[in-house]
Amino acid sequence: MLKVIKDRMIMLVFVVFGVSLITFLISNVIPGDPARMIVGQRASQETYQSIREQLGLNDPLIIQYFNYVKGLFTGDLGTSIRTQQPVLEDILSYLPATLELIIIAFMIAIFFGMIIGVFTGIYNNTMIDYIGRIFSISGVSTPIFLSGLIVIIIFYGQLDWLPSSGRLDLTMARPPTVTGFYTVDSLMVGNLETFRNAVSHIFLPALILSYVLLSTVTRQVRSSMIDVLNKEYIRTANANGLSKWTVNVRYALRNSLIPTITVIGVSFGSLLGGAVVTEIVFNWPGMGKYVVDSIGSLDFPAIMGFTIVIAIGYVLINLIVDLLYIFLDPQIRE
Amino acid sequence: MNKRLLIMIMSLLFVLVACNSTAGTEDDGKSSDSNTLNVSIVEDAGTLDPGVSMDNSAWKITYNAYERLVQYDGEKTTVKPSLAKDWEISDDGKTYTFFLEEGHKFADGSEVDAEAVKFSFDRTLAIEKGPSSLYNIINETRVVDPYTVEFQLENEFPPFISTLAANYGSIINPKVMDHEEDADYGQNYLASNTMGSGPYMLEEYQKSQYYKLALNPNHPLDPELKTVYFQISSDTSGARMRLEKGEIDILEGLPVDQFSEVESVDGVKVLQSPSLAVEYVYMNIGKGNEVLKNKMFRQAISYAVDYQSFIDEIMAGYGTQFRGPVPEGLWGHNPDAFMYSRDLNKAKELLEESGVSDDVTLDLLYSDNNSQWEELALLLQNNLGEIGINVELTKVAYATMREQLDVGEFDLSLGVWSPDYADPYMFMNYWFDSDNWGLAGNRSFYENPEVDKLIREAASISDQEERIALYKEAQEIIVEDAAYVYLAQKDSMIPMREDVQGYVFNPMLEGIYNLADMSK
Repeated sequence: MLKVIKDRMIMLVFVVFGVSLITFLISNVIPGDPARMIVGQRASQETYQSIREQLGLNDPLIIQYFNYVKGLFTGDLGTSIRTQQPVLEDILSYLPATLELIIIAFMIAIFFGMIIGVFTGIYNNTMIDYIGRIFSISGVSTPIFLSGLIVIIIFYGQLDWLPSSGRLDLTMARPPTVTGFYTVDSLMVGNLETFRNAVSHIFLPALILSYVLLSTVTRQVRSSMIDVLNKEYIRTANANGLSKWTVNVRYALRNSLIPTITVIGVSFGSLLGGAVVTEIVFNWPGMGKYVVDSIGSLDFPAIMGFTIVIAIGYVLINLIVDLLYIFLDPQIRE
Repeated sequence: MNKRLLIMIMSLLFVLVACNSTAGTEDDGKSSDSNTLNVSIVEDAGTLDPGVSMDNSAWKITYNAYERLVQYDGEKTTVKPSLAKDWEISDDGKTYTFFLEEGHKFADGSEVDAEAVKFSFDRTLAIEKGPSSLYNIINETRVVDPYTVEFQLENEFPPFISTLAANYGSIINPKVMDHEEDADYGQNYLASNTMGSGPYMLEEYQKSQYYKLALNPNHPLDPELKTVYFQISSDTSGARMRLEKGEIDILEGLPVDQFSEVESVDGVKVLQSPSLAVEYVYMNIGKGNEVLKNKMFRQAISYAVDYQSFIDEIMAGYGTQFRGPVPEGLWGHNPDAFMYSRDLNKAKELLEESGVSDDVTLDLLYSDNNSQWEELALLLQNNLGEIGINVELTKVAYATMREQLDVGEFDLSLGVWSPDYADPYMFMNYWFDSDNWGLAGNRSFYENPEVDKLIREAASISDQEERIALYKEAQEIIVEDAAYVYLAQKDSMIPMREDVQGYVFNPMLEGIYNLADMSK
């Protein structure tokens, strides 16, 4: 297991290097001058030139890239052009909101996806299966900005059950930051009112975001369940008179998990993508909104910082997936 | 197994129901509070530092947190006293002396004196970002006595007084230097804090969530609105629902086609006022297609455009045709100036006379940051097609568009402009001076030595009547030259709750609220 971790860490260095090089080159190929964005349109040439000098934009590209990589080693991702704050600080302040949203969406998707998957698998080609499949297919085929608006109109506009935007009511004090997750932080200080408020705010966006992944999980679990349930050892288990629960969950589900985990690992990325849209529809103050705003103003340091953080995230998720394989499949352990 | 599942689902539902019941009651509480104003804005403002920002969305927040030497007078574009109770301008127009009113205090209780004024301008110049380019003409700022400050300008620059009423004229508490990091003059701190003497101060900023303004305890005024939230909501459909329910009081960023619908909602009004923002088309004379150098060809384009359709259909009627180049509502506007109108026969005649061959193709540059541009581009393509000019549409990212405008890589381009300070200089000198080619302002890459001479002279004397006469003379040549297509002057549209009172629209302060005089 240690070897897997070590290999991945070495890979991480190369990934970060590659990603930073590619994003750096792309940022410099696209026309659009960050110095112009800072000084505004009507500034004089001298002011403009002095900003270019301050930003180091007059240096050769190689020097600029070298300086950037040098900064990376000390955790310096540069300064955002738009907010004039260190990029790392910006990202860290937006990261918890996004992570909280993604993790809760992820849990909802896995939980319900598995349940629906198992049932549609076991009751293959029955009414349950059809309903479950229609439900999951509409998940992949409905864009978030549409499903998001629909649930806002219903649950906020008509029923007035849930708020439509933000992480907490304006008048509610923010819980002290420990993890940055409002739901967790409010529980840690035992503030149930804030906790309830935070849950009511995260419920709709997390539900909508989870819908995308849920259908993937359902379909994957369903097909592997069907596959596994036709295996001979299942027939043997059934013949031996084991209970339905034991056969379906301990034998069939566990064995169908390995391909499912691969798919979940890969589609975690789709959650990140979906989070950008979800954050905008629900006004969720996360990284998605930050990076969209940054792209709009050609804020290279912010865009590059975001890309690098995401790349690191991907490598780490792959690592977790690999470790889970080992845990689930004794054969790989050897 | 079914039983376990049932229990899990039930417990989850239970949690949700518990949340729902509380969420509803809290929402009701915040909307009925008459001391709190909620404004929905579309994006974070970027840095709030008045010495750095050139951005109107920052001014929205800082306007009420800082005071300036002078301020715009009610609905008018002229200035009246603010921190300065009076001022004198020397005969040569190069020395401005301001006499400060005593008793203005920063939020920390320290007094606004001549030193603070000097500090603010010296700081902006030392930082050398956007705003410094406006104040480069200041040779020296001198403290005469604690309540008198004097600016020595390098040359006469009549718009100077108007620039002092803008965001970059804000007077900053010199104690900002306590927050200095790496010789940044406190830029990092002021990016998300305010240190001014206005009636409000920024109490809290939650990134991408809201700005919360609270009262400055040391300000003599006691406004009715004690707390103001600027809530950031890039999705206007959700924000619109909140306005209709009364959870927010003022909504920004609503697309034009929704105003009439919103207005019909009970308890919502839409304030319509003529603004100084204009829509126009740059015709790249200096660096674009050679045919654009031909004056008759440019006139033909000006006659071919269907101005009324643009205003009625695309702007949903919220605008008027632009009698340029100085918009109505700003001094220096000429109500008798010639205005092109759609006349296809005349356009075809001119095109024939111009001798330009039939088969011309021009590209039209625009970007996706303005929701109306797509339709406008199609309209222009159609209009010019009617007189036989082919138009190819080039849609690019906004940042790319700005780059192309700066270097002149286009034939025609859509554009908008609004003045930073209330002086026809913002239009006449920016748009037509051949020194300002490119993004700086002269985006048609226009050059006419006679015009250059007239507008430069107008910018170097202080007498307003004389300046107007010079600008008027230049206008005649300019309109005849048809350097731009003057499309429309936009109306400012602000949907707000009916109970919001006391808001005064000033065309120089679009999207900025006189919070201290407002109530609900």
